[in-house]
Amino acid sequence: MSKTRGPAKKKEAVAPPKEKPVQAAPHQEKPVSWTEVLKDWRVTLLLILVVLSVAAIYPHTEDGKLTSRLQFGLDLQGGSWIQMGFGAEVVGYETTGSVDDLVFALRDRLDTQVYDLGNGKIEIQKYYTRDDLARIFPEVNATLTSYEEGVSRNTADTVKRILEEKINSLGTRDARVNLLTPVGSSVVRYVRVELAGVNLQTARDIVTQQGKFEIRVQTTGNESQHVLYGDVITGVGVPNKEPGTEIWGVSFTLNDNGAAAFRDACIQTGATTDPENHYLSMILDGKTVYSAPLSADLASSLQTQPTKQLYATTGEGNAGLEQAQQLEIHLRAGALPVEVRVAGSGSVSAPLGEQYLWASIVALLFAILTVGVVVYYRYREPLIVFPMMAINLSEVVILLGVATFIQQLDLAAIAGLIAVVGTGIDQLVVITDEVLHEGRVPSPSLYRKRLDRAVAIILVAAGTVVIAMLPLILMDLSTLKGFAIITIIGVLIGVLVTRPAYGKIIMAILSR
Amino acid sequence: MGMDWFRYDVDRYTTPRAAIIPLAILVLALIYLGYTMATTGMPVKPGLDFQGGTAVTIISGEDEAAIRALVAGYPLESVTKEGGNQYLLKFGAMSPDQNEQLVQLITSRYPDASINYIDETFGATLQGQALLALIFSFIGMAIVVFIAFRTGVPSLAVIFCAFADMVVTAALMNVFGIPLTLGTVAALLMLIGYSVDSDILLTMRVLKRRGVLSEKLAGAFHTGIIMTTTTIAAVAAMLVVTTLMNVPVIQEIAAVLLIGLFVDIYNTWITNAALLRWYVEKKGATS
Repeated sequence: MSKTRGPAKKKEAVAPPKEKPVQAAPHQEKPVSWTEVLKDWRVTLLLILVVLSVAAIYPHTEDGKLTSRLQFGLDLQGGSWIQMGFGAEVVGYETTGSVDDLVFALRDRLDTQVYDLGNGKIEIQKYYTRDDLARIFPEVNATLTSYEEGVSRNTADTVKRILEEKINSLGTRDARVNLLTPVGSSVVRYVRVELAGVNLQTARDIVTQQGKFEIRVQTTGNESQHVLYGDVITGVGVPNKEPGTEIWGVSFTLNDNGAAAFRDACIQTGATTDPENHYLSMILDGKTVYSAPLSADLASSLQTQPTKQLYATTGEGNAGLEQAQQLEIHLRAGALPVEVRVAGSGSVSAPLGEQYLWASIVALLFAILTVGVVVYYRYREPLIVFPMMAINLSEVVILLGVATFIQQLDLAAIAGLIAVVGTGIDQLVVITDEVLHEGRVPSPSLYRKRLDRAVAIILVAAGTVVIAMLPLILMDLSTLKGFAIITIIGVLIGVLVTRPAYGKIIMAILSR
Repeated sequence: MGMDWFRYDVDRYTTPRAAIIPLAILVLALIYLGYTMATTGMPVKPGLDFQGGTAVTIISGEDEAAIRALVAGYPLESVTKEGGNQYLLKFGAMSPDQNEQLVQLITSRYPDASINYIDETFGATLQGQALLALIFSFIGMAIVVFIAFRTGVPSLAVIFCAFADMVVTAALMNVFGIPLTLGTVAALLMLIGYSVDSDILLTMRVLKRRGVLSEKLAGAFHTGIIMTTTTIAAVAAMLVVTTLMNVPVIQEIAAVLLIGLFVDIYNTWITNAALLRWYVEKKGATS
């Protein structure tokens, strides 16, 4: 502590110009004209982005209600989410025999589908604990080396397609299905379904509901007769190519009754002797999803014995594959290849969502207003405060505009948005104070130097915020992703667009 | 003037002796968190997201007793009246089947109910992920700071302050009864970014500007405090509105940010400033 220099006195000597009006600055420079400011690319870019954002948000009235293209999350518009874990596991193994032998042995022993995933991993489509498997593996000449609950990417994609198909077929608007993989793993652990405007009970029904699947055979002309229902289908394979050809298809298995019924119907209608005039059709919930004649091979073999293993071809190339994937879903009639159990669920009612939305809007406006009051209190100079607030608002508008393309707004994202308002102003303060250092408006060269220094501070600060938020984006912690995305985009817009423009504008103002 | 609610006495607040107080607070906070961890298994009381359970919000004209009677047989833990006719019901662990029955019961009776359910293993998964996110964020921040300053002591000082901010904020969450949820974890992560804001300003001004050290400290404080004040203003506005209009998710995020920002003020302008001053004076003496 120094006695010779009083802190209060020193404070005055270094205090930036809080009481000195900015206009008092010496006019040694030619004022920058407004047209010149507007022509500056940074300012032009900002203005263009604001206009584009407003267009993207597109506020308009529909049936007398104000609406926009902003997408709101479940918690702001009402809806339900269900997150499900897979009753399956991906395990590592060591075996003395071949992988194929192990896979077949396990299929028998565990009575479920087992797939070789390559890289020393196999997928078991039924729930077993690690201890169970560790005990069972030696029986099939193998040892268990790793164990992760979940499914491979492929199986997870199938689950996702099935769920999307189901939701779409019910005409539910605004649904999303996401797969969640823990960081550092390639095994998909959860699938999350979000349905807007639906209560939890309905959502659960939709997700678990199965379609009605039927196979019919053509008799004469447009007439057809029933062959079997989906309940006799015991297994559906993944799309694969017919051996030795480039033709895609899906195999499926019938139980004994189904196989008998299939054979009887084909013989009775004459499909076995004249396949071309007796097409077989697959019908899901009253809609024909597949129609083809019996193959020559099958037609002749059915004449002597029933077949449990059937194969439906769809065609060559990508189109064939896509159709095969569709067919697989239809054959399953909404049943998932692996069992799922609900790990979490949630719902927000429409009235509560609306209440949250209003609260969010009020909170955002109130935050902007409060920040305005604080900076006014600090600078007491409308010529500084208004541009600051305008920049701050434009930042919010651009952020919302960008959000219409990539991110729905939920409560957490709104919190991120409000935080961006706070930090955005922060950095404008850094620029202003840095430039106004010692209360004088600097010459352009000095100004440049100071602005660069301010930008350096801002860049490091922005860098840390982005880095701090990055794990949340990579991690799929459901609701927090929106928060992180909004925060990062907000910071980037600030650093790349609005702060540079502000630097130009404040220079023009101060040089007056 | 307005922003000087207290005078920042550079010579008094940036001495090693002044730094003892923040250090003492940090140690107390660590002890408190350690104690909570030892007794409950978690440093901060976990909310639904991490602990698992079921939370139901309903709007009902009935009284509490009637509502309790309705859900008899389910592991009801608490009923809170959230103003008006809105009730928050919290349930402990239950099986997925039991939960499904509860959902049916509630939705048939109150179609507009909001129901949240997290099973325990899912909660544990979220816990692990959230912990990883915190660690990654912190390491990422440290790397950015090191790259920016390329000098040991000032970088370490910034990182140390960010650490102190988080620890003390977490301890204060316990004091104020704010649970650890996905939202509040996000707020803690945000604090990592926020807290280094003012530390970076301080360090940049002191290391990269020419001039008298104490003047640079005072100048940095003047800018820094207004920065933090604007953020505090935005966050406080968010807290007030969401408290009045009953939006628990944002309310908790805002509360944690607010606590953290206040903690950051003393950690930046006392702890970090003292460390920086010590570093600059030592360097000046040796060179």
